[in-house]
Amino acid sequence: MWDETFETTLRGFLPFLGEDEELTPDTPLRDVGLDSLGTVELLAALERAYDVHFQDDALSLETFRTPAVLWAALSALIHQAA
Amino acid sequence: MSAENPAEDRTGTAGGDPAGIRPGKALVFPGMSASPFTEVGKFMLVDPVARELADRAGEVLGYHLVDRFRDEEGAGDYSEAAQVAFLVNCLASARWAADNLGFTPDVCTGPSFGEKALAAHTGALSFEDAVRMTAGGARCMEDYFRTAHQDVVTHSFLRTPAERLAELFAEFESRGEFHEVSCHVDHDFHMVSMNESSLEWFLPALRAGGGMSLYTMRPPVHCTAFGPLRARVEEEVFAGLTFHDPRLPVVADQDGSVLITAEGVRTMLLDSFVTPMNWPSVVASLKGLGVRTVCVAGPDALFGRVPVTRDAFEVVPASPAVAMRPRSRPRRTAAGAGPARRA
Repeated sequence: MWDETFETTLRGFLPFLGEDEELTPDTPLRDVGLDSLGTVELLAALERAYDVHFQDDALSLETFRTPAVLWAALSALIHQAA
Repeated sequence: MSAENPAEDRTGTAGGDPAGIRPGKALVFPGMSASPFTEVGKFMLVDPVARELADRAGEVLGYHLVDRFRDEEGAGDYSEAAQVAFLVNCLASARWAADNLGFTPDVCTGPSFGEKALAAHTGALSFEDAVRMTAGGARCMEDYFRTAHQDVVTHSFLRTPAERLAELFAEFESRGEFHEVSCHVDHDFHMVSMNESSLEWFLPALRAGGGMSLYTMRPPVHCTAFGPLRARVEEEVFAGLTFHDPRLPVVADQDGSVLITAEGVRTMLLDSFVTPMNWPSVVASLKGLGVRTVCVAGPDALFGRVPVTRDAFEVVPASPAVAMRPRSRPRRTAAGAGPARRA
């Protein structure tokens, strides 16, 4: 499961997800308001928060399909940077 | 040419400060993005101006616009009905901003599809002619791309500054493959037309340089190769339209030039088929004119949000979603409940 920074950062880009609603690993992020430009803004926010740089296959909209997919891609980058 | 506007040249373009205008507020009609009935249907059914415009559009089209738009939602994001519905929603949003936010623009612009709404809003075209132009253009495009340029797509991507874009274009050239910028959205955000087969090498190369791929549009847009389409639309659609000088100065989305004549607006609309859209040049032009605040009228997920816009202006969104928010939907004035006079 992801950490609090990820949860807080991600929720900031999901206008259709209520404060009391649970963010599950399989929540389709597009359905809760993550559009194309929001995806890019989220990408930049995660890079700043974790001091990583997305590249190659991670730079596709598929990476931002669900919290689980995104966290897996981010975790791999954090691991590489460590 | 108008005697009142000595700065204007014969193409209807004015340099600098046309007619002594010192604008502070600009109305921006957005380019078209997917705007399904589920997102805008309530606005079209509830907002009195949207309802009236939809009814008037239906009289021109010969079918009930809202019903067709709702029933054909599976027909694609850019069907004829979807395009006219987008036009209606942009114009009604501008009226909502005037009535509810008191937004009175000094200058008007519209990237890409937004050109159509600005033509109606400024009176360069009557609303009915704007509907004819939108629907007729949609039909011509659908027919044209049924056989022409079937292998060409327009791909959008960002996080790719000019230097990196130049490297990618050098790769296109070394391979001898077609490529052309169709839209400059921001300094690191572009839409490029290319053969679909080029995506095979382009996408990995883009991502290897840190670029983010967004989506691929088919049919493609704004490309010099579409001269035959421009000619066909001019002959089959524009020949039946009557253009007037716009009531507000218009900033052309291709190069930021200021237009004040009927011919200038007409040429901008036709050139849109074959000339790239350049939003940063529009932003620079608006700044040069003294604009500080822009109201983006219509469903927008892009132009009011990109950094080049946010860094330059205070952005006031006036979309169907904003208009339908209970807290921000004050009672319309009696004047606002009447016909959409501007359109």
